[in-house]
Amino acid sequence: MTIFEGMASGLLQSTSLTVFPYLFVGSLFGLIIGIIPGLSGHFAMAMAVTFLYTMEPATGIAFILAAHATVAQGGGLTAILFSTPGTGQNAATLLDGPPMRDKGQAGIAVGAAMASCFLGATFGAAVLALLIPVLREVVLFFGPPEVFFLAFLALTFVAVLGKEDMTRSLIAALLGMLLAMVGVDNVTNTFRFTLGSDHLADGLQLVPVILGLFAVAEMIDLWVRGGTLAKEVPQALSAKETQRQIFTGIGLAFKNWWLVLRCSAIGTGMGLIPGLGSAPAAFVAYGHAKQSSKNKETFGKGNVEGVIGPEAANDAVEGGALASTLAFGIPGSSSMAILLSGLFILGLDTGPRMLTQNVDIVFVMIFTIIFGNLIGTIFGMFLVNPLSRATSIRASVMVPVLMSVIATGAYAGDRAIFHIGVAIVFGILGYGMKVLNYSRAALLIGFVLGFAVEKNLYLALLLDGPLFVLQPIPLGLLVTTIVFLGWNIFTIYRDRTKVIPK
Amino acid sequence: MRRIFLKSAAAAALAITTIGFGSTASADEVGDFYKGNVIKWIVPYDPGGGYDKYSRLIIPYFEKHTGARVDIVNLPGSGGMKGAVEIFNSPSDGLTVGIINGSAMVTNQLAEIEGANYKVGDYNFLGRIVADKRVMVASTLSGINSYEDLIDNGKAEIIGATGLGGSTYVDAVIVGDVLNIEQRVVHGFDRSGDIRTAMLRGDVQAMWGSLGSALGGIEDGDHKVILHGEKNPTGVLVGIPSIYDIAMGMEDGARKVTILESWEALSAVGRPVAAPPGVSEDRLTFLRNAFDQAMNDPEFLAAAKKGKRELSFASGLDMSKIAKAATVLEADVEALFVKAIRGEI
Repeated sequence: MTIFEGMASGLLQSTSLTVFPYLFVGSLFGLIIGIIPGLSGHFAMAMAVTFLYTMEPATGIAFILAAHATVAQGGGLTAILFSTPGTGQNAATLLDGPPMRDKGQAGIAVGAAMASCFLGATFGAAVLALLIPVLREVVLFFGPPEVFFLAFLALTFVAVLGKEDMTRSLIAALLGMLLAMVGVDNVTNTFRFTLGSDHLADGLQLVPVILGLFAVAEMIDLWVRGGTLAKEVPQALSAKETQRQIFTGIGLAFKNWWLVLRCSAIGTGMGLIPGLGSAPAAFVAYGHAKQSSKNKETFGKGNVEGVIGPEAANDAVEGGALASTLAFGIPGSSSMAILLSGLFILGLDTGPRMLTQNVDIVFVMIFTIIFGNLIGTIFGMFLVNPLSRATSIRASVMVPVLMSVIATGAYAGDRAIFHIGVAIVFGILGYGMKVLNYSRAALLIGFVLGFAVEKNLYLALLLDGPLFVLQPIPLGLLVTTIVFLGWNIFTIYRDRTKVIPK
Repeated sequence: MRRIFLKSAAAAALAITTIGFGSTASADEVGDFYKGNVIKWIVPYDPGGGYDKYSRLIIPYFEKHTGARVDIVNLPGSGGMKGAVEIFNSPSDGLTVGIINGSAMVTNQLAEIEGANYKVGDYNFLGRIVADKRVMVASTLSGINSYEDLIDNGKAEIIGATGLGGSTYVDAVIVGDVLNIEQRVVHGFDRSGDIRTAMLRGDVQAMWGSLGSALGGIEDGDHKVILHGEKNPTGVLVGIPSIYDIAMGMEDGARKVTILESWEALSAVGRPVAAPPGVSEDRLTFLRNAFDQAMNDPEFLAAAKKGKRELSFASGLDMSKIAKAATVLEADVEALFVKAIRGEI
């Protein structure tokens, strides 16, 4: 089967009456899972896998992948409306989404986020399609030395992330890396910072940490200051106004097409690299959006570009992650491991055989990502109106309700009460950071990349010795990192000297 | 106060259960007990891994033959130990079972790793789903096409492994030590998939793993088997040297074979399904029979074949013997294994 025959067959299969209804149901299922904090894409897929046994390959693939594809959209919705990211990858949306809500622009933010998700996903899927002939070569490009420096480069983005100053951002990022060290070290079996607790031996889990840092901290803030979630809006937006805003938001995403394209490329690129995960991609895209914007100073205060960037990257990641999984049959994340187990259940082979013998199935995946996100976007919009009304409910009612949802989300992943405690501790830490103007996003990105930096540094040193830094690609990445950081320090210094004479 | 109350309540519940379903209960009564009841099935790893896949494959048939609903609970942590401990400490009412990583649980117990709060020999095994055939594969790009190439090329080849104490690591270190293979074991990869990627990049030359997970890469021409741990090889392993053949041809061969047999006993524990200690005899027999029937159900066998999952069933009683054999080792062999698990070789 040639690639074009595969494409035609994939399109026909995914729009057929036997497949499309499952794709549709899967998308809605994913959207709902995304809206519930703490439940992530891999949870949606694990639930969906149980239904696969009786399905045909194309039907099963469309169902399971559609459920995964729309999770980030649902998560973006709650990140903007309730400051509660549905999944880890939506954490970057918290930087500008909630400030827009506070200004009474919740509809615009959601519209822009949904449309960016769809565009990003389409971009990621298209890149996956284009890469099919050279997929294996591309994925093999990244070994431990390359991934170490890429993770390091992504870390330096924290310097420009928030509205906070660079020194404080770096302190927060390093604290995040330190927190990533908690648990049994995989290499030496040493217990690090576990304080004798069995629970801490497995390290801090991402979901309760995110829920604590952002959602719980926001609840404490709301409780302390009273009022409603949407700060400067005395009354809920009317349904008509919300609709109008959503369409404005969608228009803005298309108007910023160049930004969408660049951030989608960042997302897809980072998705291709095994082991980096989707949360850093969204933050790096945010950093890039801010860096390249004409209105840098409004970032963090409700700039729609700060919503478009991370949301586009979020969904573009999937195309990249799928590419590395399909090329070798080696999963790069737990979601992809579940997808792979789904493929086994359906009797499909991955690796080069899939790319040559089942290329139509690859295209069913590609079209599922595109159609699934389109369905998610459309239905997500219907959800905005009822959900956004809740943002005008007063704190004394809202906080207990959302706190119980957050506690359930923290508990649900591993069914551990301990994780509720983790969320509360990080909630207090997050609130303190918010008050003292330390970047929570920087802490989170340090935490997420801490694992990748440490593990890949160790492997690179063992495999290539200390001189691995002199290999061409790592050296290039190192120079890029130094130039990037140097340029930022220079601009800060320049801006300061400009301001002082006033 | 509350704790005392809970304890008394638990004791009362246990007493009622014992009276109600004591040794006089017939097979029918046990069947009625399970019919419509809920059995918790613990998987000590994340969804999507091999243990999860096997569990989801067998559960519909286990439900069919017990009449109960089976709820899967993923409890990842401490390299599978968290779930294993949870199963071990569960109530002995016969309503909690789980799959465990038998070999790793044995090695962790031997090395007295922190958190290994269980005794493999004390589990009530329902039976074994599969025991991995262990093989060493070398990347086709490495220029190593056979075991001879591995030992003759005059330099230490790099063998990839996951964490300390993991089976990819223990296999490489023990077999390497026994057969005097000149090698450098690089551990610290997150999962065996990462080692396979590193082999494709040329970062490492070879790895140990299960034959089941190596088959795809063998078909794709990414790597080939150069050594295996089977005494009677079948299928793709025919014609490839066994560690036993090589050890027999070496000085002190008999001693080496003893060590390798103990190593093989570890692998034989495989992936068993276990209930906690203390389950009443009639319920245990019922569960064992149901597991036996599920494992031999023609529909299950067809589903496993379709999903390309290898099976090697062992009954619950056989499994108990296998587990005990793996935990009782000669003192010096045990010392060698403990050193290997702790990364001291």
